[in-house]
Amino acid sequence: MKKIIGVLIVIGLFGSGCVKRAPSPGITDSEILIGNVQDLSGPMKELGAIIPNGSNMYFEYINDQGGVHGRSIKMLIEDHQYNPQKAVVAIKKLIEKDQVFCMFQVIGTSPCEAIRPILAETGTPLIAPATNSGTMSDLTKQAGDLIFHTDTGYDRQAEILVDHIMEKNSDAKIGLVYQDDDYGQNVLLGISRAESKYGVTVQKESYQRGAVDFKGQTMNLLKGGLTDVIIAGIVREPVVIMKTAEAMNFKPNFYGTGPTIDARVGKMAGSAGEGFTATNWSYMWNSDYPGPKLYRDLCEKYDIPQPYIGLYHYYGFATAMVLVEGLNRAGKNLTRNSLIKGLESFNEWESGTFPPITYNRNDHAGVDKVQLVQMQNGEQVVISDWLE
Amino acid sequence: MTDILSGFGQEIISGIALGSIYALIALGFTMIFKATEVVNFAQGDLMMVGAYVNFFFVSTFLSNSGEPSAWTFMVALLCSIIFSVLFGLFLDFIINRPLKDAPIFSVIMATLSLAIIMRALVAMIAGPISLMPISPFGDNSITIGIIVISVLDLSIIASAIILVIIFYFIFHYTKWGIAMQATSEDPVAAQLMGIPIKKIYALVWIFSALVATLSGVLLAPRIALLDTSMGFLGLKAFPAAVLGGFGSIPGAIVGGVILGVIETISLGTLSFHFEWIKEINDIIAWFVLIAVLMVKPNGLFGIEKVKKV
Amino acid sequence: MKDRYDHENIYWIPILIIFVFLLPLILKGISFSYKYYLFVLNLAGIYIILNVGLDLLSGFTGLVSLGHAAFLAVGAYTSAIMVDQLGVPFSLSLILSPVIVGLFGFIIGFPALRISGMYLGLTTMGFGFIVKRIIISFRDWTQGSAGLEVSSPVLFGYTIKSDLDNYYLIYTFVIVAIIIGRRIATSKIGRSFMAIRDSEQAAEASGINLSQYKMLAFFISGLFAGFAGVLFAHTSSFISTDHFDILLSIYFIIMVLVGGASSIYGAVLGSLFIVLLDNLFVPLIEDQIQLLFNTQAGDIQSLIFGLIMFLFIIFQPMGLYGMWLKMRIYWKLFPFNPRQRFT
Repeated sequence: MKKIIGVLIVIGLFGSGCVKRAPSPGITDSEILIGNVQDLSGPMKELGAIIPNGSNMYFEYINDQGGVHGRSIKMLIEDHQYNPQKAVVAIKKLIEKDQVFCMFQVIGTSPCEAIRPILAETGTPLIAPATNSGTMSDLTKQAGDLIFHTDTGYDRQAEILVDHIMEKNSDAKIGLVYQDDDYGQNVLLGISRAESKYGVTVQKESYQRGAVDFKGQTMNLLKGGLTDVIIAGIVREPVVIMKTAEAMNFKPNFYGTGPTIDARVGKMAGSAGEGFTATNWSYMWNSDYPGPKLYRDLCEKYDIPQPYIGLYHYYGFATAMVLVEGLNRAGKNLTRNSLIKGLESFNEWESGTFPPITYNRNDHAGVDKVQLVQMQNGEQVVISDWLE
Repeated sequence: MTDILSGFGQEIISGIALGSIYALIALGFTMIFKATEVVNFAQGDLMMVGAYVNFFFVSTFLSNSGEPSAWTFMVALLCSIIFSVLFGLFLDFIINRPLKDAPIFSVIMATLSLAIIMRALVAMIAGPISLMPISPFGDNSITIGIIVISVLDLSIIASAIILVIIFYFIFHYTKWGIAMQATSEDPVAAQLMGIPIKKIYALVWIFSALVATLSGVLLAPRIALLDTSMGFLGLKAFPAAVLGGFGSIPGAIVGGVILGVIETISLGTLSFHFEWIKEINDIIAWFVLIAVLMVKPNGLFGIEKVKKV
Repeated sequence: MKDRYDHENIYWIPILIIFVFLLPLILKGISFSYKYYLFVLNLAGIYIILNVGLDLLSGFTGLVSLGHAAFLAVGAYTSAIMVDQLGVPFSLSLILSPVIVGLFGFIIGFPALRISGMYLGLTTMGFGFIVKRIIISFRDWTQGSAGLEVSSPVLFGYTIKSDLDNYYLIYTFVIVAIIIGRRIATSKIGRSFMAIRDSEQAAEASGINLSQYKMLAFFISGLFAGFAGVLFAHTSSFISTDHFDILLSIYFIIMVLVGGASSIYGAVLGSLFIVLLDNLFVPLIEDQIQLLFNTQAGDIQSLIFGLIMFLFIIFQPMGLYGMWLKMRIYWKLFPFNPRQRFT
């Protein structure tokens, strides 16, 4: 008897998640359900809160205008704490239990790599993974045809930075400080390509995710007598390194890859951060292009709190535009295949937020160029054209 | 040659500064382990809570008075200390009291779940955006010859030394301290001798919350961006506490400084000259730890407890 | 020596096994999202295998390991490299990899001959970090921190791909692991382990070779973790060093302790409890809370998880198995139960 009751309880618990199965997952006449896996309580939880907020702002704007072909967009967000195992569980939940139509903006390189098998098995597209890793647009990898990458790869960014440095000063001695994980490995890939292109050796120093002290590395940069240093970090690393270097009276030109574009880097580094140059793969959020203008208007309209507004929030907004345009082009009869077809019809599509994006059967890379943004008198100023 | 020497000097000084950070956290571990044999996995997160609370007080006072002055920081520090004392009492109440007869491992697990709870609660209250703590010492640094050290680092080194001396004296030369030692040796016998062990346990938790808060206040400006993952620094201080011998107060600072210096030198000079060192410099602390434990199983300053059958 | 309350109800075991094998069909019948539930159960199954081994090491022998994720990692990477790069068949790897992990257990177990208690726990934790680093350093084999794609298991010419197939594969081994674990625990080896845990001196005095048995404990634990690692690598198709971080090791020891240390069933119950709590029930509660208060997800999830864990430890420090035993004795004595036994 106890057994039967136990079985009934288990059945009841599992059955409580039941909903009637929709003909095409995540699509009803009035709604499109999309899934997003973010780091909401791990080391990158700041981005996990800001980026989807930016996307939701745009979805709200679209929904207020009547949605895409009459369907409003609803985004479900799960937490992965920057752990690939949890990312797999979360994405399994979104696809199998919540029946989402497609995945959007999963953050982190290793979580994105870990979910490839599930994407391939269920045929779920992943639009705009929130990682700059160049491996995301590699079509030969598993589920490569389902992933639409928007950002310029870290490897390309590093190459472009070296190009820029060598152009300015052909006998520059370059150093690199990188995070010793998948992010750093992708940067190293670009650096080694640039090394063989120019026949130079880049002095490489690594640090661990979560490190607080960079004295040893800065000392080594100083000993190497470098003129230019590329920092492949996030926010804390460039700030601390530049401050330490200033205290040691060591003043090379500092450069940073994508994630260091955060405005706080310059703000916190103060005088040490003057002249810090970072790569940016979208229009600056405070520039006068139509996309950024719309962005600022919407921020005002939807009362976005001040600390959220900035580059990452804008990034969430900009990638949301890519998804909505894809859904638009997929037409009224929306399926996963028609979404892929819709996205692959992008030809120099001008969103106003990103430089023109082209997708086709053999190219899912999105943007592949960057602008350089420099700190001048505490303001971020664009100092270059689009570099490829 | 002078180049190498000055580089070495700089690295040793920086290593001592880094080691003092570890030592401050390790001191908190030591305190609780010494009296209750519990490894407090929530120590790093206690520190994080301290840093957040201090930030809250500083920013409240600043928004009232405007310009930061020495007084603002002093008053904020005092408020944080009062908070930490109350918080320590509260922790004793929710962890130690209910689990007084439970196996030690249950208490350790309780501290682990407490760490999860604290991290989540702080994140919910403070919001997802990282904070930018203000240092009372600014970015000033002192240059001696060619060696540079920031005032912030000096303050950390100084407080680590002062705290270790204070707690060493408390533990070894006051009535309460000796009572604590007796409790850690044999709680039952201590109780029979008339030592109020409940009060002793409460005191230990207060001390450790206090140390955690102080280190949180000092470290917050040092790590530039304050978020809840600051608690994970606790994991980095583990080898320091173990190396010195868990439960030995001077051991905490010695272990911390040794590891800090080794880490900085391996990141600096050693990886500059030997490429392969780069592969191992984040685990070098653990290598040293295991090597030392193989020779001295209770750490450098640990006391071996003789077990009877 | 068996107490009158410790008699096992053997006849429940076949029924349980049949239930385990019927469960997927029941789930499939009642819920279209059965694949997700199966996936979570598969994860729990892998952890069960590992935790049976961890329990033999930490619960029975009293050698605390805070680095068991490293064992899992070594098993997973060994098998992935052997099958995908050396061309060893999966069925052979299933035998070879656990043995290799067991031998690796010797290396980690070596310090245990001198170090004990929490010091040993932190030493094994150190090994966790070191192993992770070594895996990254062997870039040619493991592709460093970028992670490694792993092929699906092929057994007797049949490729095991879906969650359902994985379920049967994993749970066959779960049952085998539990039976073997029970056999070891009740054998001479198991009794020696417990003697070592209770008092090393007394054990040595009664003729137990301390170093031999401690090493054996690490070897056996490594074997179980190796099995778990092989299954983990091939059923999850992608492994990276981020999978095996220190928090996972700590979760493993929590699972064993929540279940109730030094009982195999405890390890099983604990693994199921924590995995299901983390992946099924907490999200369920969280969804309800989100409907009520309209809050952001994420931290609430860890808050609920932490709170449940905390309350559980405060009110049930003996673990799930201890709770079950208490209940059983309560029913057996009913209605003559002496009150003070259960307070």
